[in-house]
Amino acid sequence: MSAVRRRSAAFPDGGPQGGNDPSAGGGPAGPPFLRVSGLRAGYGPARVLNGIELVVGEGEMVAVLGPNGAGKTTLLRALSGMVRGRGSVRLRGTEILGKAPEEVARLGVTHVPEGRGTFAPLTVEENLRIGAHLRRRSHVAEDMRRVLAYFPLLQAHLRQPAGSLSGGEQQMLAVGRALMAQPRLLLLDEPSRGLAPVTTRRLFDVLRAVNLHDGVTVIVVEQNAQLALEFASRALVMETGRLALAGEAGRLGPGRRVASAYLGPRR
Amino acid sequence: MSDLLLQVVQGLSLGAVYAGLALALVLVHRFTGIVNFAQGELAMLSTYVAWQLLDAGMPFWAALPVTLAVSVAGGMLVERLVIRRVEGGGELTLVAVTVGLLIFVNAAAGLVWSFAVRSFPNPFPAALGFGSAQSGFSALGVLGVVAVVMLALYVLFRHTGAGLIMRAVVADPVSARLAGIRVGRVLGLGWGLAAGVGAVAGVLVAPLLFLEPNMMGGVLVYALAAAVLGAFRDPVVTVAAGLGLGVAETLAGTYVGFVGADLKVAVPLLVIVAVLLLPRRAAETAPER
Repeated sequence: MSAVRRRSAAFPDGGPQGGNDPSAGGGPAGPPFLRVSGLRAGYGPARVLNGIELVVGEGEMVAVLGPNGAGKTTLLRALSGMVRGRGSVRLRGTEILGKAPEEVARLGVTHVPEGRGTFAPLTVEENLRIGAHLRRRSHVAEDMRRVLAYFPLLQAHLRQPAGSLSGGEQQMLAVGRALMAQPRLLLLDEPSRGLAPVTTRRLFDVLRAVNLHDGVTVIVVEQNAQLALEFASRALVMETGRLALAGEAGRLGPGRRVASAYLGPRR
Repeated sequence: MSDLLLQVVQGLSLGAVYAGLALALVLVHRFTGIVNFAQGELAMLSTYVAWQLLDAGMPFWAALPVTLAVSVAGGMLVERLVIRRVEGGGELTLVAVTVGLLIFVNAAAGLVWSFAVRSFPNPFPAALGFGSAQSGFSALGVLGVVAVVMLALYVLFRHTGAGLIMRAVVADPVSARLAGIRVGRVLGLGWGLAAGVGAVAGVLVAPLLFLEPNMMGGVLVYALAAAVLGAFRDPVVTVAAGLGLGVAETLAGTYVGFVGADLKVAVPLLVIVAVLLLPRRAAETAPER
């Protein structure tokens, strides 16, 4: 919870914290960092998102919780342009809904989809370089050092194809590749899926560091509610395509009755 | 004995042309998953462009890069105007589209340049100028040019940022888009590259086969055989297969009485059939690249 307190100090006006307040934003003036309004999306005739309203302030780390089929993955996919939607998604005032995924990515939104973040035949180093392909060449070496400092395990495998790594290493590579792009908004879909608890903690430690030190805004879909509530500053609970509950992570602890109704049994 | 050597060298140079067109087929297939039956006709079109430039008095080694540039642009245009509309369509749709493209380009070339057979200048000097030695030298020249093209492709894919992006797109187009790569443009570039490689094959084979709209029909059959042998993914096997086919065809045509000049084209067909009859696993375990 120290993460939350520290950020509160950094933003005495409570801007990024005020999750329930639609006026919350990236600063005293100007549009909010991310404003989602009336977002509807689905696959063919099947509607999955039924009007999402959400404001995320710059520098927040938001966890999205909820049962399977609630639309968590679809929410991320709609934000990154992988799924078409209706409504509005504005990043610092710029409408990004309807843009192709590559154009959204070029605006600083990096999406790490579940279990599919790496280029298997390419080496670890090449994967990292792909992540930085939009950046100036002179920055790449330094970024690579920074990412390898976050994930020292990758250092030994730089020349190996990504497909030969273990699941946990691949997930770290996927996040590392995303960080190479110096994103403003990082979207992560169940990064802990299939990972050992120790590896998961390591991953979330890095996410917290990236969030705190580099100021990257993070939206993470997570099945492990306890973990998400520990690391995120704010949690959203999705249910059948809507946001059912939102609040500061501390107030939404897994011990609460209201939380357990949505989050299922404690882990 | 030296006659046999000459036959082998000539077979290799013919094979290098097959390998060139086969590489173009493999490029298109790796980028867009399409077997481009019109690849040979695009190469033929490039050869006419080269001929037109030469006819206007341009020296050969100046006309070649211009032809390559026009071909790359043409390949990208074809991808943009035709292929992108049918992307994601069924396999049969794609086959129908590229075969249709083959017929269209062939007929259009006939309309513009007529089906008359023209001679095409041999770019390689007849250094020693007497008899068989000349064809030996031009065969070595063809081999050299194809080797340079392959080396250039290798350097492009392995040692440049653009090549890395292309390999990422081939490996996983969805992840590539999420990384901010404009996949559509890269696929277009793949078609352009393939058209450029095909153009080299066309220009090199034109002095041997003479220039006419149907000149690449036979070459395409050999190239397809070589590409099938490389499982449409392995460039090294593809090139080796192209060279081997060229030698096999030349030697069979010369030394196996009943094959002669007429049955030569059956050699690649036999190879395709033989490869397809091999146990399935052999094709599936072909290395990644």
